[in-house]
Amino acid sequence: MRAFFAAAAILHAMLPPSSRGAQVKPTRPVLPREFVAVRKRRRIMDAMAELSAEQGYEATKIADIVRRAGVARKTLYDNFDGKEEVFLGAFDVAVEEMTARIEEACEAAGDGWDERVGDGLEAFLVYIAENPAMARICLIEAVSATPAASARYDDAVQRFVELLRRNAPRDTGLPETIEETLVGGVAWILHQQIRRGGAEQALDLMPELLDFVLSPYHGVAKSKREPGGETDSTVPDSNS
Amino acid sequence: MERLPRGRHGLSPEFVAQNQRERLIAGLTAALYEVGYQKTTVSLIGQRAAVSKSDFYKHFQSKDECFFAAYEAAIAQIREQVLAACSAHEESEWSPRMQDGIAALLAFLASDPALASISLVEGLRAGRGIYDRYQAAVESFVPYLRRGAPRAPGGGKVPAATDEAVVGGIASLLGRRVLAGEAEQIDELLPDVLEFALTPYLGAVEARRIISGG
Repeated sequence: MRAFFAAAAILHAMLPPSSRGAQVKPTRPVLPREFVAVRKRRRIMDAMAELSAEQGYEATKIADIVRRAGVARKTLYDNFDGKEEVFLGAFDVAVEEMTARIEEACEAAGDGWDERVGDGLEAFLVYIAENPAMARICLIEAVSATPAASARYDDAVQRFVELLRRNAPRDTGLPETIEETLVGGVAWILHQQIRRGGAEQALDLMPELLDFVLSPYHGVAKSKREPGGETDSTVPDSNS
Repeated sequence: MERLPRGRHGLSPEFVAQNQRERLIAGLTAALYEVGYQKTTVSLIGQRAAVSKSDFYKHFQSKDECFFAAYEAAIAQIREQVLAACSAHEESEWSPRMQDGIAALLAFLASDPALASISLVEGLRAGRGIYDRYQAAVESFVPYLRRGAPRAPGGGKVPAATDEAVVGGIASLLGRRVLAGEAEQIDELLPDVLEFALTPYLGAVEARRIISGG
């Protein structure tokens, strides 16, 4: 908490005097305007996520969002063009957070591909369990909310495919599409789990999902992933 | 779908009605593939089907109702193809049955991109309650996979979520290819899809042996 106020104070000092809010009593730490603005933006997006998770994107109105977020209607329109922009903003934030968590977990796991994939998957499930509303808009609402949201969803799937490719073993001789089908399969299981209202219990799926994701690689990959590694592959001869 | 001859043709009213309904369903499926859900209007469906707008409303109350009917019709056609291919094998012949069933699925989708699109893409993203039908359709293919499936390579039972993930994963891959405008080449994915489907049940090595015809 102390670090937070220190950071706030530094940010505050960086602002031009006119925006420091000099009228506020100096005994209380003044939150810089930009910090407040960022918090408000986030509150608006969180409100959007919660409301569309509860009642769907279509039924969610601007009036509901500003009420839930506790901001003025004008604040919303200062930050976003409208409802769709809020939704897309929330979607982008959630995807960034998810992929960052997954990448961190993969990096921390070391060189074994099974550990990297396992820890990455676990980080993903933990995110879903801790952020059920964000998870729901990313995995369910986005698919059908608007054409722009569908396109964002497709891009996000592609990011997950690349993330798995970077951490899965290479030179296995498996189909090129293997990571696409695996990501699609995991997304499908999570869709259903979240739709059943089970986002908070996403981690229960860990053993089955991990088994599903790793099974193609077992027997055709070396136990350690060697980035850029070549030859000496244990891929069996296709005629054997 | 051919429109019926004009004027007096001696066809029963029931026949004409059924034919119109089928043409409207085909018209919506074609329009959806050309311009997407939002731009598919009742007039455009009527145009594609050569059925007047007022006749459209004799069959369907709304575009959505026609869409749901078209979606169910597409899934029924796919199921018919897959089941016909599977029925050539006994229940115990699991991997040949999978091979023929998946080959029939991909060939059929490749032969009809508009049908591939409504079943794999629009069903997921048009919203308006169609998602439940998409989910039911995907789930309805799970028993075909599960029936007579071998035990996992380690000897244990393959978990139920795996069956669903396999079917959902295939649907997702195929949908992505349709979206990319590659519906007509979907049949070329047969080795990939088959290897993906067999691996959880047979292990990667055995799956590959079967696919390479060993």
